[in-house]
Amino acid sequence: MSDVFVEKLSKRFGDVTALHDVNLHVAQGEFLTLLGPSGCGKSTTLFAIAGLDTPSGGVIRVGGQTFFDGAGKVDVPPERRNLGLVFQSYALWPHMTVAQNLAFPLKLRGVSKAEQAPRIAEALSLVDMGEYGGRFPHELSGGQQQRVALARTLVFRPTLLLLDEPLSNLDAKLRIKARGWLKSLQRQLGLTTIYVTHDQEEALALSDRIAVMNKGRIVQLDSPETIYRRPTNTFVADFIGASNFLPVRRTGATVDEITPVMTEAGVALRAVAAASAGADDGIVTVRPQHIRLSRQRPSDRGLNVLAGAITDRTYLGARHAYGLEISGHTLVAEVEEVLEPGPVFAAFEPRDTLLIAR
Amino acid sequence: MPASAKLLDGLSPLSHALLIQWATAIVTVILVAAPLGPILWQSFLDKPLYETGALTLHNYSRLFGDPDFHDVLANSFQLAALTTVVACAAGVAFALFIERTNLPGRRWLRPLVLWPMYISQLVTAFAWYIIYGPSGYITLLGERLIGVPPWDMYSIPGMAIIAGVTQAPLVYLFCSSSARMADATLEDAGRSMSAGALRVLWSISLPLMRPAIIYSALLVFIGSLEMLAVPLVFGRPAGLEFFTTFLFSRGLGAITPDYGLVGAAAALLLAIVSGLLVLQGLLLSKAGRFVTVKGKAQRPKVADLGKAGPPIAAALWLYLVLALLIPLIGIVLRAFTTFLTPLLSPFELLTFDNFAILAKYPAYIRSITNSVIIAFVGGVGATAFVALLALVVQRSSFPFRRQLEYVALYPRAMPGVVAGIGFFWAMLLIPGASLLQGTIWILMIAFAMRGMPTAYGAMAPAMMQIGKELDQSARSVGASWWTVSTRIVLPLMKPALFSAFTLLFLGMLKEYASAVFLFAPGAEIIGTTMLSFWANGNSGAVAALSVIQLLITFLFVTAARLSTRTHRDV
Repeated sequence: MSDVFVEKLSKRFGDVTALHDVNLHVAQGEFLTLLGPSGCGKSTTLFAIAGLDTPSGGVIRVGGQTFFDGAGKVDVPPERRNLGLVFQSYALWPHMTVAQNLAFPLKLRGVSKAEQAPRIAEALSLVDMGEYGGRFPHELSGGQQQRVALARTLVFRPTLLLLDEPLSNLDAKLRIKARGWLKSLQRQLGLTTIYVTHDQEEALALSDRIAVMNKGRIVQLDSPETIYRRPTNTFVADFIGASNFLPVRRTGATVDEITPVMTEAGVALRAVAAASAGADDGIVTVRPQHIRLSRQRPSDRGLNVLAGAITDRTYLGARHAYGLEISGHTLVAEVEEVLEPGPVFAAFEPRDTLLIAR
Repeated sequence: MPASAKLLDGLSPLSHALLIQWATAIVTVILVAAPLGPILWQSFLDKPLYETGALTLHNYSRLFGDPDFHDVLANSFQLAALTTVVACAAGVAFALFIERTNLPGRRWLRPLVLWPMYISQLVTAFAWYIIYGPSGYITLLGERLIGVPPWDMYSIPGMAIIAGVTQAPLVYLFCSSSARMADATLEDAGRSMSAGALRVLWSISLPLMRPAIIYSALLVFIGSLEMLAVPLVFGRPAGLEFFTTFLFSRGLGAITPDYGLVGAAAALLLAIVSGLLVLQGLLLSKAGRFVTVKGKAQRPKVADLGKAGPPIAAALWLYLVLALLIPLIGIVLRAFTTFLTPLLSPFELLTFDNFAILAKYPAYIRSITNSVIIAFVGGVGATAFVALLALVVQRSSFPFRRQLEYVALYPRAMPGVVAGIGFFWAMLLIPGASLLQGTIWILMIAFAMRGMPTAYGAMAPAMMQIGKELDQSARSVGASWWTVSTRIVLPLMKPALFSAFTLLFLGMLKEYASAVFLFAPGAEIIGTTMLSFWANGNSGAVAALSVIQLLITFLFVTAARLSTRTHRDV
């Protein structure tokens, strides 16, 4: 078993607290992603699990073995943890060939020369790099280096796979290819994996569960679908792309998930209530691509309609992004039509909204 | 209790690493404290330190009350100040014209400027003596022309010129790297406001180099205070005493050395040099407004000197010929002649007698082999030790690594003569250390201590350039700190290890100042043998030994250049 328990993990640098009591449980074989902007503490958490960063307090247990316990003063050094960590920069040793890079962890584990060769070949073929054993890292492309880095961590059969933004140095096309390939490899090997990224799309595509982090805290831990459709707070909603926020007041009871609310300007709207939206004051979020714009007020009475004005337009290729001024608030809408600045009606379906706590 | 079992389990590889780290730290501290401690101790003792005495401040009051010592202080500071002026003028001029202008032939000038650094100050002093000394070749030539000796090298300005020539490469080194990195657009801005090329060099390029100039000027000033060769060869005949010659004569020359006085003078010199190094650090910390290096890559661009180019080039070449080439030719000629005089053609006086004298006595041959053994074995050993030290400071979780770095860099503040006295006294004081007395091992240890900051300076930047994730990834795949250090970090910095070894070898080959207190029959080195030949007035043998040292240096530098060229791929 190689499940991961992280309890009350904290990290302080002088006066600055980088991690506030982070709790996490990753099940055997699960792919969990730590998602958040830079400085949110996701890499600190990962490096603490790897043993390369000493936390200030808390407990880290992997597969029943305690790696770190702030109270019991247990701190197993990284080389004793048998975890496979892939670095953002790949960290291939430049003075060794690909095969030597893979042989190094095996040598450290006392694997005989005779046994090393087939295991290196197996790991390299897993990542489709079988023919590159004799090359030096600088002779490989970025994508190839990334695969060798993964092979180097797989070759010694780690109990846990830790990935620190491994795809961020690849170009956009290669990143999508590598994503699919990484996911199928993880499924095939059944390795418990913790993945760190700031790319929400990557997190949604790869993960079984996502832990969104902000300022050293996990602010939501759910399946990708729930994170996307039901963010529990404005930070997650914003990070996941629902970037329009309207402060509202609840005006009636929730029926079939739909709650009547009223904006500060007195416009009545209907919104889907998130589980967390308990209080009277809330925020309605809606994604820019779910807003439709028109010069005339839409006749459909089932729609939410706000009157406002277009203030600016940005060309995005397939769409245009419009900046809207709606009774003192700024909203963004993405539509295909070309519209000139001036008065406009913004309309969106109640089911495309989410009412969350303020 | 399972938790405590885990604790021990987790700590055992850690304690192995800690053991190595503590051992490195302790050896470093001993290396630096061994000469430092006895000097400070002796300076407050009323008796020689090997006897039981009482603590006193009397040594210091005697030192400051000694009118001779007032002259020593005045002479030392005058010489250091004048030397700094000479070295900076020459070093800055070369840096500015070679790096920032299209001076004709600057590619040829560049390697020549640095050559005096490879040559022992002792050899340079002897070479200048042979050419420009009171009965030097060119001095006599000038005297025949104008009737009186054209100059007097037995004076502080005369000595400052020689010392300045030996230290100018240091200034050039710092200023040229600063000049290379300077932002050419700042100069272009000056040109666009119709300032001439020389005007721009003077008003813009030169002031931008100010931090480098100040930094190297202080290094030269410190270097001149520490210098023994030039004061010994040119100062003593004229009765001029300096800090180092004062320590030399009171500590070694006198029949009954005045331990307390020597201790106090050495401690004072240490304090002055340490203070200057602190000052240097403070000045550099406020150098922000001279930062011209941006992340942006700049195309190298140089000013067009136009018609001023050839005369400036001629002046710089003349300097190199007069200061470097003629003295070197002089000492080589002197080595192969019975004597050197403008009255007779040197080809009528050709002889191998000077080398024959060396071959006749095993002690003379031994001084050459000892020098090479010390430079090679000591160089390899010191490279290995400083590499370990750098690993502990830069790449470990050793709790006192910052403090260790300060200790390792402290020998910069320890002049050779002071280090020699310190180690000599340490052998009297520390039980068991007397076994080292009169062996080449104590010389190696003293030279290694002196070379530690230089070697560390050559390694630290290279080590900082190796990404931390290369260690971290090795740790995460199961390598201990020691395995990471030896298998990943050190192999990646082979070129830096090699250049550190080169610096240590050359430094140890030409070191003499700390050896004068430590050498003994059986443990002579080239420098000490040269000094004793000099004391006996045998300048032919001095020249012969100088030529041998120059030859070893030249062969080593050439070999080092060739092997770095073939190892470029590493």
